[in-house]
Amino acid sequence: MFHRRDFLTRTLGGTSLLAVGSTVPEFLATAARAAEKSPDAKAKDTILVVVELTGGNDGLNMVAPFADDLYQKARPTLAHTRKDILKLDDYHGLHPRMNELKQLFDKKQLAVVQGVGYPNPDRSHFESMDIWQLGDPKRIQTTGWLARTIPGMAVSDAGVPGMFIGQERLPLALQGADGGVISLADRESFKLKLTGNAPPRKKLLEDLNSGDDMTADLAAFVRKRQLQTYTSLKKIEDALGDQNQPKNPQQRNRGDGDKNDLASLNGKLGLIGRLITKGLGTRIYYASINGFDTHSGQASQHADLLGEVSSAIGQFFNALGGEAGRVVLVTYSEFGRRVKENGSRGTDHGAASCLFVAGPQVAGGIIGKHPKLDDLSDGDLKFHTDFRSVYGTLLDNWLGVESRTVLEENFPTLPLIDKAKKPDAPPKGGGSAPKPGPAQKVETPPPAKG
Amino acid sequence: MADVLPSSLSKVDPADAWKPWRPSSAIPWDQKWVAHLYRRAAFGPSTADTTRALADGFPKTLDRLLNGEPDATALLEVMTDTGRYFSSPAQIRVWWLSAMLESGHPLREKLTLFWHNHFATSYAKVSSTPLMFEQNLLLRKHALGKFRPFLLDMSKDAAMLVWLDSNRNTRRAPNENFAREVMELFSLGVGNYTEKDIQEAARAFTGWHVDTVQNCDDQVFSFKPDEHDDGPKTVFGKTGIWGGEDIVRFCCDRPSTARFLVGKLYAYLVSETPPPKGLLTPLEERFRGSDYNISDLVKGMLGSALFFSHHAYRKRVKWPVEYVLGAVRAVVPDRVPLADLADPLAKMGQVLFAPPNVKGWRTGTDWLNSATLLARNNFAETVSSGTWARTSARIVARGPVPPPPVVAVEEPLAGSAETPQQQAAVAAVGGAAVAYAPVREMVADDGTRTVVPVIEVVPAGPGGLAPQGAGGTSKPKDTPGAPPPPPDAKFDTVEMLFNPKPKTVAALIKRMGEVLYGEEIPAAARAKTEKFLLDGKKTFSEKDLDNPAFRQKVRETLHALMCLPEYQLC
Repeated sequence: MFHRRDFLTRTLGGTSLLAVGSTVPEFLATAARAAEKSPDAKAKDTILVVVELTGGNDGLNMVAPFADDLYQKARPTLAHTRKDILKLDDYHGLHPRMNELKQLFDKKQLAVVQGVGYPNPDRSHFESMDIWQLGDPKRIQTTGWLARTIPGMAVSDAGVPGMFIGQERLPLALQGADGGVISLADRESFKLKLTGNAPPRKKLLEDLNSGDDMTADLAAFVRKRQLQTYTSLKKIEDALGDQNQPKNPQQRNRGDGDKNDLASLNGKLGLIGRLITKGLGTRIYYASINGFDTHSGQASQHADLLGEVSSAIGQFFNALGGEAGRVVLVTYSEFGRRVKENGSRGTDHGAASCLFVAGPQVAGGIIGKHPKLDDLSDGDLKFHTDFRSVYGTLLDNWLGVESRTVLEENFPTLPLIDKAKKPDAPPKGGGSAPKPGPAQKVETPPPAKG
Repeated sequence: MADVLPSSLSKVDPADAWKPWRPSSAIPWDQKWVAHLYRRAAFGPSTADTTRALADGFPKTLDRLLNGEPDATALLEVMTDTGRYFSSPAQIRVWWLSAMLESGHPLREKLTLFWHNHFATSYAKVSSTPLMFEQNLLLRKHALGKFRPFLLDMSKDAAMLVWLDSNRNTRRAPNENFAREVMELFSLGVGNYTEKDIQEAARAFTGWHVDTVQNCDDQVFSFKPDEHDDGPKTVFGKTGIWGGEDIVRFCCDRPSTARFLVGKLYAYLVSETPPPKGLLTPLEERFRGSDYNISDLVKGMLGSALFFSHHAYRKRVKWPVEYVLGAVRAVVPDRVPLADLADPLAKMGQVLFAPPNVKGWRTGTDWLNSATLLARNNFAETVSSGTWARTSARIVARGPVPPPPVVAVEEPLAGSAETPQQQAAVAAVGGAAVAYAPVREMVADDGTRTVVPVIEVVPAGPGGLAPQGAGGTSKPKDTPGAPPPPPDAKFDTVEMLFNPKPKTVAALIKRMGEVLYGEEIPAAARAKTEKFLLDGKKTFSEKDLDNPAFRQKVRETLHALMCLPEYQLC
């Protein structure tokens, strides 16, 4: 039989209604407290955060084969020196601005996947971005790979399965998941429309839906979902409200990644972090950072971008506290860049590249060999790992969605996820219901020199 | 009482469950049960439907639902001809919605929708409007017919063949996609076959391809003898030189097919509560006995004692299409621009001709998450406040491609109709096609990026301005006490509720319950609603019916009642 407790766990399981207690009828708050105490509530869903590096990220500048003479020769002005680089091993090093990611790497929470690409690479931004987002080099698919993931993905607590954080239009990767995705660019998509006498109407809706029947029938189930919907909206509003706090304009500095600015990656990941800790139930988040098309004067631009990526990801995982173990973040870009730098101290469109997979449950390290610098294809690195291997691994081993249903083929699984691994001990207070209010202060990690 | 089934479903004798229902004092043929039948066998009742059904009685009503209106066949012919002109999925979506509302045979459309989900095929991969449309016609043709010819026709349907990679199924390299789905999803259900059965069946289907007709873009089924494996195959333990037809026949011969289909239809028409073991056995036997006569099975379900019991009442979650059309039919006095339904339906998770994958939509409680429930709440606001984005019917062609002929028609296609009856049909369809003409391709609805800015509906005259535009001035946001402009009279839901004029607030609320639910809303909700409507006043007078502020409150109340959990159920 269906027990009251199962019912509550199923409907209220992972949500921290307590955090918004005042806006929720008391009976529901009581129910939420009971549900949160139940052991089942701990089995929370895994989350994937996808970060798009728009414009074609120079993977060779991000993870550099510093010990390779060919690299030094091909990049007379751009190459990192042995002295500056953050060494991952005797051959690879991270860009000097990526201290936070170096720390994650040292904690074995960062995987660098080498030589990722697809056959017959397309060097057009638009075309190649489509291929990555469709998850289909032939571009037969017309819906995004994440959109196709959603129908097979379990989502508890009536959560919105996928969410796009940004002001731009919905990325192709998330297009086609009808009813499964909301975009923060489209405020209408998460606003309850109540024209006219809005406050009394809102009260009436809450009153009408607050019947205190705890029966397990279908209507009672829908009533809980309805209330969860109102609570979810409130959570999103709250999280955005934290975003819009008064800020000192002088603090706005792209390199720092102002955490109150939705235009910066730091701001976007900060918001995602708050939504996760508020227990929203969403399992796929997508954010992007633009500016990687560095045809000229690359050194300082790219350094700022990578610095923002690194600090944003570092702060994101720090702020997640005890929730971090549920989260894996993956970066990608439409292509890498030409091995040889051009005459404008920049680099042109390339092919295969590397990407990051980060999180406490990630099996860290360098996955796959660095593509050979003396065996290029039209001046570009050759790929050895199909990008769909990365997708497939994340689907099968992290989101629990059979990859074949999304990618239509099986791709070799990569050693990216280690679910058996014990995550770090959560910081004090981690895992408890967060308090509404400003985002947690995050300690800036000390610079790792040398 | 003999005519009431036990309260626990597991105690219901299957023989009693499927006995034909007779109205009784305990469960009479009244507004509540008319609404129940119309929610399942149609897209919810309009007030006129209810009146007519009560006057006709149950047997006649059920027959009419099963067979459609007398002119339904003629109407369908004309609508079909109309549909063939359409060239984008947005257009055939609107076409189908208009067929659901106006073709005179809602049960057939309801079953077509069921089969669309069963044989789930998506434009996302097929990428051809004509192919998707022809498949829809095929689904409709067999919707209430017999399953054997249905399954065979679907196995040769061009959209299906494209969808399941049939051209890649060749003698040298069999592709199992279609063979697997024909067993797992279309007939036997998972677990009722072996992997070997699938491999062998795939061989039998080799050479069942689609091909392009000469001088024409249409793709049609084409058997390629050179690609067909004509060696012996062993399927379900039978060995022979089997072809695709044989596999279809074998699948239909197996008892699990009846079990699988009856179970699925039971969830669609009767209840989403899993049935206890044995409850469906009489239906399965009847279905097999009739050689898979779908109409007979549907009649057996809809006319049964179990259907007219609390075991079926509100035991399903409305599909988005049911939610949207039901709301419109119940409370909007006039036709609405059907293109306006596309975006809400997408947000609720159901884009017609674009199910998420070959398994179809995830139904039941999976329809409801925070995003989709919000979309339902917000659609209720559109309906109750009457704020349709486009309110009239003048069609203007834009861009390089001329509009399909029928869309440009404002007068009925008089020349093409021979009999007066057909002329009437043309007039009706012509009206529908114009009033409901699709406007533009939705950007993200099924992932396609083709932009088709071909046809646009523009407001006709000053009265036709979109209410939300309100003459170009932006309306104040959420300002308490500042009611938004009243809706266009033809969409004003109070017109429906004030006819006849209610004498008391209680009578008004009763009326709202009957319109939305077929019965009064629960007492607790009544009290809260009454308080909201009266807004601190002690009494209500007939003068209030003309007071804009009161009328606004009535619309707001209607919205709230459409956000009750029961309204998500059917």
